[in-house]
Amino acid sequence: MANFKVSYRADTALLQNLWVKSWLIIFIVAMLLLPFLLHRYELSILIEMGIAVIGALGLNLLIGYTGQISLGQGAFVAIGAYTSGLLAGTLGLPFLVTLPLSGLMAAGLSLIVGVPSLRLKGLYLALGTLAFGFIVEYIIFHWDLTRGDLGMAVPKIGTQGFFIETERQFFYLIMFFAAIATIVAKNLTRTKIGRSFVAIRDRDTAAEAMGISLAKYKIMAFAVCAFYAGVAGSLMAYYQKWIVPGNFDISLSVAYIAMIVLGGVGSILGSVLGAILITGIPHGIVYLTDALRATYPHLSNLVVDLKLGIFGLIIVLTLLFEPQGLVGIYRRIKVYWKTWPFKY
Amino acid sequence: MEKIIEILFNGLSMGMIYALMAMGFVLIFKSTGVLNFAQGELSMVGAFICYSFATLMHVPYIYAFFIALIGGIIMGAIVYQVFFRTMMGEPLFSTIMITVGLASILTCLAGLIWGHDVYSLNSPFTDKVIHLGKITFAQGSLYTIIVSVLLFVIILLFFNRSLLGISMRGSAEDSDTAQLMGINVKKIHMIAWALGGLMAAVAGMFLADQSFVRLSMSYMGIKAMAAAILGGMESITGAIVGGIIIGVVEGLAANYMSGMEFGNFHMGDIKDVAAFVIMIIVLMIRPHGIFGKEKVERV
Repeated sequence: MANFKVSYRADTALLQNLWVKSWLIIFIVAMLLLPFLLHRYELSILIEMGIAVIGALGLNLLIGYTGQISLGQGAFVAIGAYTSGLLAGTLGLPFLVTLPLSGLMAAGLSLIVGVPSLRLKGLYLALGTLAFGFIVEYIIFHWDLTRGDLGMAVPKIGTQGFFIETERQFFYLIMFFAAIATIVAKNLTRTKIGRSFVAIRDRDTAAEAMGISLAKYKIMAFAVCAFYAGVAGSLMAYYQKWIVPGNFDISLSVAYIAMIVLGGVGSILGSVLGAILITGIPHGIVYLTDALRATYPHLSNLVVDLKLGIFGLIIVLTLLFEPQGLVGIYRRIKVYWKTWPFKY
Repeated sequence: MEKIIEILFNGLSMGMIYALMAMGFVLIFKSTGVLNFAQGELSMVGAFICYSFATLMHVPYIYAFFIALIGGIIMGAIVYQVFFRTMMGEPLFSTIMITVGLASILTCLAGLIWGHDVYSLNSPFTDKVIHLGKITFAQGSLYTIIVSVLLFVIILLFFNRSLLGISMRGSAEDSDTAQLMGINVKKIHMIAWALGGLMAAVAGMFLADQSFVRLSMSYMGIKAMAAAILGGMESITGAIVGGIIIGVVEGLAANYMSGMEFGNFHMGDIKDVAAFVIMIIVLMIRPHGIFGKEKVERV
């Protein structure tokens, strides 16, 4: 039946009805059980997905909710990863300190490009973040501390005999942070801040006329986006144990954009879905090419080249044919079944 | 003294290449409102087309040059027809992201067709120099400057004198009114894209002549975007001046700042980021560029 709400409170409730609640419980139980059912390789894919979810959520808060375009998510992930690596590696700070510091570092550095660009509209932030991405890559390459191409080792998480090392432990750790990131993002969109973001996206002049401080909320959105990216980078650094600048080039930013475009711009569920699919697709291709290796031996070499092209193709096709992304399809199907057999 | 003249001259010829690319950006942005992030990739494909004909098939260079020009025009028109004809009036995010996606697709396809190696283009000017007293110029650089200046003059005349150019300016100003005046705006947009593709191909071939043909050439496109921003994004003269400034600054930075060390920071090839630093500084202090006008917004 259609959704009837009698109070505003019920309309903005986090868990809309029993149906959602029961699915969520099933999902949580499945997530808790999965590490015992899957192999290490499959778990590592899920961990990658969890990290991507965090970065994609941040980017979607900026692009989807505030309507500001950033092409530099990869750079902020890099800042987070290297901050963690440096703080943990040289100063020996524990994980629980470096993780928030990585996010804060990314958010702080984002202001360098964010503050000037956000005074302006539209594509200036896109250009500024793009340039910023190349500068960050250059600095990582040429700074002795980050050791350029050689890469940097990141110490393990944990002290006094207890270390987070196995895939299973990492799975729980990263899923925990991904869940927190999702809940925070979802809650942020339900508050005054989130509504201000949406108002700015829909028409900034009108938003300003209603008393929303454009500069404040645009910078806040950009800093939140960078904070999420920094946290994702920090987790990535700890998980990979070894970071090289090549991991954080422009193709990472394109991958993050592909995630939110495919999933659905301006939707929390969309960011999660997009992150899962975009991370999963290269692994799917590897799996397929493995099956075909006997007949076409050169195929697997092509996968690396193909990855970026496939992301590009996904972005273009989604924008041309389904601008709302997967969430748009989901909403259409939901409405169709809700009103079936009537048209509307 | 001789050294600085050589540096300036080489910077100027590099700047012309940036100016050509930046003009492509400005042309497309002004008339269609799309910021084409795939401009550098179009250049790269143009250079690869020229390379395939001139070096692989031994077609005379001048024919290969024109084949690549036509290739650039066709590419631009196809991009418009396939991706942007239906996207008129779509939000900025969608149009920008389509060009970003397109850039990835073009890089991927070029990688599949031509591979990831570094190739050199055999042009009539390769490794030939002109001596002028103590100063040595590369013939290719001189040729780049001459042809670019010719192109700039043609384009400026086209926009100021020809009916088509004037109607392009009209539809850039206000596409709805232009449509009411009987201008076929869709055709105008396609021509703008085709011209953008042509500019990209020319820039790509000159660039290939000065260095190599390879996939990472496309980064030049983003540097040229800095030139376009510096010039104000909407002005063709601005793009030319911006391109020259970027080229000269890059040349100076490469000669005087490379290899310097500050504490534990090596400058290395500072040339690669000079354009991006300029871009961020411009965004900070004069976001509408040297020639751009600040827009007044109506509710």
